[in-house]
Amino acid sequence: MIRRSQPVAKQYQSTMDVPLKMRHCFVMDSLTDGRQDKRQLLSVVIDDDESVRESLPDLLREFGFAARAFSSAHEFLSSGCVDQTSCLILDVAMPGMSGPELQQELKRFGRKIPIIFITGRNDESIRTEVLKQGAGGFLVKPFSDTALLTALHAALGLD
Amino acid sequence: MIETKNDSTLEAPIPTVSLESILCTEELQKRPSRPPDYERENRALVALMTVLADSPDAVFQTLADTILDVTHSDSAGLSLLTQDGKRFYWPAISGLWKPYVGGGTPRDFGPCGDVLNRNCSLLFRHLERRYTYFPPPINECLLVPFYVEGKAVGTIWALAHDERRKFDAEDNRLMGSLGKFASSAYQALRHITDLKFQVAEREKAEAEVRKLASGLEAKIRRLVEANVVGIVMFNLGGEITEANEAFLQTVQYTREDIASGRVRWTDLTPSEWRDRDHRAIAELKTSGILQPFEKEYFRKDGTRVPILLGGALFEGSANEGVAFILDLSEQKRAERALRRSEAFLAEGQRLGQIGSYSWCVATDEITWSEQLYRIYELEVGVPVTLDLIRTRVHPEDLTLYERMVEQTRKGGSDFASDFEWQYRLVMPNHSIKFLHAAAHATPDRDGQLEYIAVIQDVTARRLSEEARDMAISELTQVARMMSLGTLAASIAHEINQPLAGIVTNAGTCQRMLAAAPPNIEGALETSRRTIRDANRASEVITRLRALFNKKETATESVDLNETAREVIALSLSGLQRIQVVVRVELADHLPPVIGDRIQLQQVILNLLRNAADAMSGIDDRARVLLVRTERNEENQVRLSVKDSGVGFTPQAADKIFEGFYTTKSDGMGIGLSVSRSIIEAHHGRLWATPNDGPGSTFTFAIPCTPKAVANS
Repeated sequence: MIRRSQPVAKQYQSTMDVPLKMRHCFVMDSLTDGRQDKRQLLSVVIDDDESVRESLPDLLREFGFAARAFSSAHEFLSSGCVDQTSCLILDVAMPGMSGPELQQELKRFGRKIPIIFITGRNDESIRTEVLKQGAGGFLVKPFSDTALLTALHAALGLD
Repeated sequence: MIETKNDSTLEAPIPTVSLESILCTEELQKRPSRPPDYERENRALVALMTVLADSPDAVFQTLADTILDVTHSDSAGLSLLTQDGKRFYWPAISGLWKPYVGGGTPRDFGPCGDVLNRNCSLLFRHLERRYTYFPPPINECLLVPFYVEGKAVGTIWALAHDERRKFDAEDNRLMGSLGKFASSAYQALRHITDLKFQVAEREKAEAEVRKLASGLEAKIRRLVEANVVGIVMFNLGGEITEANEAFLQTVQYTREDIASGRVRWTDLTPSEWRDRDHRAIAELKTSGILQPFEKEYFRKDGTRVPILLGGALFEGSANEGVAFILDLSEQKRAERALRRSEAFLAEGQRLGQIGSYSWCVATDEITWSEQLYRIYELEVGVPVTLDLIRTRVHPEDLTLYERMVEQTRKGGSDFASDFEWQYRLVMPNHSIKFLHAAAHATPDRDGQLEYIAVIQDVTARRLSEEARDMAISELTQVARMMSLGTLAASIAHEINQPLAGIVTNAGTCQRMLAAAPPNIEGALETSRRTIRDANRASEVITRLRALFNKKETATESVDLNETAREVIALSLSGLQRIQVVVRVELADHLPPVIGDRIQLQQVILNLLRNAADAMSGIDDRARVLLVRTERNEENQVRLSVKDSGVGFTPQAADKIFEGFYTTKSDGMGIGLSVSRSIIEAHHGRLWATPNDGPGSTFTFAIPCTPKAVANS
């Protein structure tokens, strides 16, 4: 079935819009500055696609994040940097544990890491589900760098 | 020879001696006469009577002897006139001339003739002088006539060969008596002969009758004993006097039952047939004949047997006769079976919605089964004519109908002897029925051409087929769309991967260059990745294009006629639903081509669809689609699809083959451009021409013999 794509992530216009529970976990920074020193914020990319793992961390670093990339959920979980992870850029379809499955797994362990899902397939049902489960964003490849930055700031409450 | 053979020898050129000169009858009176010897005369007559009574055959001879004796002559005898009156013959002679018995004299030239002419006794002297056929010596000859019923039938005569004897009056008198006797003897003999003849005739007749009777008897006996039919002899009192085995078997009685007289034919008949029996008996009594009629008898065990009964009274009897009894059980069984099978047939026809008809082509005599009347919704039994049928045939199928009639009348070779055809009817309520007819040509009893056909109402099947076809085509469309969606998704996915990389890296590059100071190294790296991903995307597209163009052609020998027929069969219901008449002219002995059968089917299907689409808006003329195959001079096989649709302008002729040129909204199936590619891959050519009339013709030609693979 071909489905029309719908607006991606809810755009938070101001910090007042960010849900209260998310505010106290993060360091507030100015969005307009663009490049902030967020070196203590670790963004993790999990995608089985090598070109993604290759390109996204550079972009994230340009955003001011620290960035790491893993090829699978299992690799991430056994990496030991789960606790340091400030946010997750997560592919939906992966061999082994899929993106949504990892989302469930982290929830089970009480890990409230904001997740931005990225995917090549615009599947409405998956989008609805992962957002319901608390994802911070759902981006369809190819997405622009600005879109990613906006989603990240929104998810982290960096407005 | 005394006996003359024919009359010609009597025309003697020799001057004959006159009759007068040899007659001396008067001498009889002149001469002295012996005294009458009555006693002798009586004895002689008695003796003659005795002979006549005892042995009539000898009477003439005895008479001759007697004449000889009483006249003391040398020879004596009788002369009898033959039936034809032309001769006298001597049945008996006595004396010297005895050896001449059986001979005779001619009627018109001889002594006996003279006697009869003169009607009196005559005495001749030396008659051999006139009648030279007599051997001498004859001195005197006395002839006396005798009469039967007033007519002279002959003479008796006595001869003296020399002078010693001279006949006198007494001789004359005696001869006269003897002549009378001769007359009675003659009559008696004749009577006896007649009697004998009659007896012989009667005996012959009786023998014939006996022969006949014995033949007839034998035949009857044979008939009775053949036991093909029961035969009895009966009397009107109720008894059965004789019966043959066949009868016994029919009624299951034994011979003893019949012989004992226990079995009366009145008892054999069930009560409901009594009236009929009374009428039969009355008929027998009045006319002596009983015309055969059907009835039933009771067998010995009480079961009933159907019979045919007929008979007759014997000639001359008012009471007794013979009857035949034919056992109809088998026939009744056969009749029942026939009625059952007819009922089954009628029921079967009804259940299967099949009607049948027979059509004698020469007389246009058409007979319909009941079911066929029902199919046509006409009153059962109405006389069927071609005009009546025409009132029901769908207007669009009328030409087809007329053509069918014409061809069958010609006994045409086009239809061969058996044919099938499909056509539609329009009912009074405007509903449409689809009929499928199969006809078989057969010469009837008189050798005339007759068609026996069955017609099946296939409306329900057709409608459900159409519904099914529509469902299938919709499903196919859906499936295609689904597979297209999947295909699209997978294509999108294939391309998205490098695209995402391009976008990300390009964005990163921009930021790196905008930083203070610009991150040149980073920019270079991200640019490199961008170009690499772009190339990757390009490769994907190339791969995809190759995938679409990939020809997994299975090359085989393809019969275009068969292929065309398959495609037409698949499309037929759809085409007929939109009132497209499909005509097919496939060349005989079309050589096969080498190629991909499925691809060629796709091309033909494409052409059919296009033709149907071209005609979809046409209402003012018939929608006719003609598929033709032929072999042309360049050793190619040609297939053309001709329609009567909107046609195209010469300017559009090439455009329609271009890739995305389409007037169709659904875009299903392969298009003309792909068709052309397929045909060109088969080393052929596909082109379109406008018709002389409305519509266009699309033709492709493919070589019969395969070109070398190296050429492609």
